[in-house]
Amino acid sequence: MINSVSSPVSRRAVLRGAGAALVAGGLGACAPGNTTGSDPLPTSKSSTALSGELTIWDRTGDLYKVFDKAIASFTAKYPQVKVNHLAVDINAKLPATLISGAGVPDGAFYDDSLLTGVAPHLHDLSQLIEQYKADIAPYKLGVVTVDGKVVAVPWDLDPGLLFYREDIVTQAGVDPAGLTTYDALLGAARTVRDKFPQARPIHLENDQFLAQLWIDMFANQQGGAMIDAQGKLSIDSDPYRKALTWLDTVRSEGLGTLAKYTQPTDLQTQDKGTQVFVPWAQWFVFAPQQLLKASKGKWRAAALPAWQAGGPRAGVMGGSSFVIPAKAKNPELAWRLYEHLVFSKEGYTTVYGPNTVYPGGLNTSIPSYLPALDPNTPLFKPIEALGGQDLWKVAVEAGKQVPGGYAIPTWWGKAVDYFGVNVQKMLAGQLSPDEVLKTSATQIQKNLMGPS
Amino acid sequence: MVTVTEAMAARREARTSGRRRVKAAPYLFVAPFVLVFAAFSAYPIFFALQLSFTNWHGAGALKVVGFANYRYLLASPDFWQSMATSGVLWLLVVPAQVLLALTIAVALRKARFRGLFSAALIAPFVTPLVAMAQVWIILFDKDFGAVNHGLTSLGLPAVGWLTTSVWAKVTVALLVLWRTTGYAVILLLAGLSTIPSDVYEAARIDGAGAWHQFWSITVPLVTRTLSFVVVIGTLTVFQLFAEPYVVTGGGPFNGTRTAGLYLYKHITNSDLGLGAANSMLLVLMVLALSVASIRLLRSREDS
Repeated sequence: MINSVSSPVSRRAVLRGAGAALVAGGLGACAPGNTTGSDPLPTSKSSTALSGELTIWDRTGDLYKVFDKAIASFTAKYPQVKVNHLAVDINAKLPATLISGAGVPDGAFYDDSLLTGVAPHLHDLSQLIEQYKADIAPYKLGVVTVDGKVVAVPWDLDPGLLFYREDIVTQAGVDPAGLTTYDALLGAARTVRDKFPQARPIHLENDQFLAQLWIDMFANQQGGAMIDAQGKLSIDSDPYRKALTWLDTVRSEGLGTLAKYTQPTDLQTQDKGTQVFVPWAQWFVFAPQQLLKASKGKWRAAALPAWQAGGPRAGVMGGSSFVIPAKAKNPELAWRLYEHLVFSKEGYTTVYGPNTVYPGGLNTSIPSYLPALDPNTPLFKPIEALGGQDLWKVAVEAGKQVPGGYAIPTWWGKAVDYFGVNVQKMLAGQLSPDEVLKTSATQIQKNLMGPS
Repeated sequence: MVTVTEAMAARREARTSGRRRVKAAPYLFVAPFVLVFAAFSAYPIFFALQLSFTNWHGAGALKVVGFANYRYLLASPDFWQSMATSGVLWLLVVPAQVLLALTIAVALRKARFRGLFSAALIAPFVTPLVAMAQVWIILFDKDFGAVNHGLTSLGLPAVGWLTTSVWAKVTVALLVLWRTTGYAVILLLAGLSTIPSDVYEAARIDGAGAWHQFWSITVPLVTRTLSFVVVIGTLTVFQLFAEPYVVTGGGPFNGTRTAGLYLYKHITNSDLGLGAANSMLLVLMVLALSVASIRLLRSREDS
């Protein structure tokens, strides 16, 4: 029998040896150790001529092409620097890369809402940002500050605006200038529906992640956030209650279209004029420019209505920043590149100004660097899809009103499973605003924050 | 001078060393595979097992937390919801896939353009999923989708295919069925080709009809292939990620958040210890389901 043949090196010994090597040697050798997360990145010596090579990640698509041009303006200034500019699905790839430490880029574009989740893996840029602090929009400075350290170079500011179909609103006899409060908007929606019975005028977001981002915009507009200045959960509070109650009224009166942003129902109802009012981030302007056909040119933008007469008419929805991983090989070069893009006129003008990708300029956001926000010096041109409206002026004025003191908790993304989902249940008529807030607060406290 | 005893000892030693060389050879030959397997399969499994007992978030030292991750998951409604969703999808996909694939394979067994049909059936499997998922979103849109248009034109009510958690599961299951059934058909066609035609001929001579032949000859003789199809189907459903991720994002109300999607959430949230524990529980669950399915089919084969 084959099994009975004696072997100088038994199978059991081989397996035992391999197993022991794997467990003792393999795991021990490869187990992760401490990282240098949030190590301060020292001030670069400006006298030293810049040279070297760095790898930068940007989102795929048109934005990549825009940044490619802007990076060219940096390398023209510093010809000894070579920038490897890569188009990457950053949200999917960056967290795993930061954890594994393999193939880490020197810098990456990243969503603000996800920033705090990767903060321990990033360089502390506090010393470098210090000189620019007074010129950064207060909201944005709060977002990039985690545990007192600035962990990203703040990039765009995405103020919320009220987008509306000017043709339908006018036909219904509503004066857009009168849409100064959310109560007035509710009244206008009723008027539009009376005139056009098929209309479901107000957008209600059907995606749980975007809905959470959206409601945070309403809360930010009222000076609220999911956590307060002490880091305590503050979701069960007036700003959220007011926003949810208003949305629930829209739902219960049949005044809203429940649709996922830019999905078929959303685009079709906007083109048909069933959906007329979209309170959304500035980046909604992408839809009339690129996706909507019949209604192109009929949309306009205004400041958000206020929650109470005379109150703030701006809040922020979304945004991105530039991060420099703690394990980057050339963090100083990455900082110099981002400093050029964000804090130099040449850099931000190259990104936002007219270029071959966007002949009218990049108009889906505005810079968070306040000196760039001059209403009389637009970076991008008036927009045809908005009937030639000067969106720059509207967005800049809104951007300057955005309340500061806002912080994104580290568990913001995880909260979508609770708050985002419960909001969806409310929009489907399954929960009341109070139930959403109390249930979400309990779930977040229990599952994401632990005993306080 | 060399004595006879010394010469015999030298010969014995030479034989032994030769045997050593011969006996070591198999290990040398399999060594490359063992090394690759150890590096890319065994090590990650051991490491995941180790991680499952820690609260590691990707940075800092590993901190052992014992069975805390397992206790958390087993008490978590989110974990059980994801398992239940995968369970429902398994029920919607696997039995239907086996029945459909077997029916199509039997029908194609003697078809004239078998190769052409096979190519058509495998096409969804090799088509990029994201493109197909977008088609699915458009087809199943509640208000403007072709499916509801067809239903309402027949006087039936429109269905919230992507907006209600019950129907969203059905929509995802249909996509999975459409994608993977062709692959199962190809496997079953290979299984059917091993059945000798004289078995059918003998049955025909004995007066067996088509149904009798199918039930008493075809099904028992492809049971092993069917077991394989069931195991592959089980693995597919419990690892299901891309379809619900792209079509529904796991919604509505987490109604299509499968075990695979829930596991992905741990990773994107940097809860790697929890994710590792979740994947270990998932392995046990899939193993149990696969063994149960195989035993069920084997008992049918034995009988």
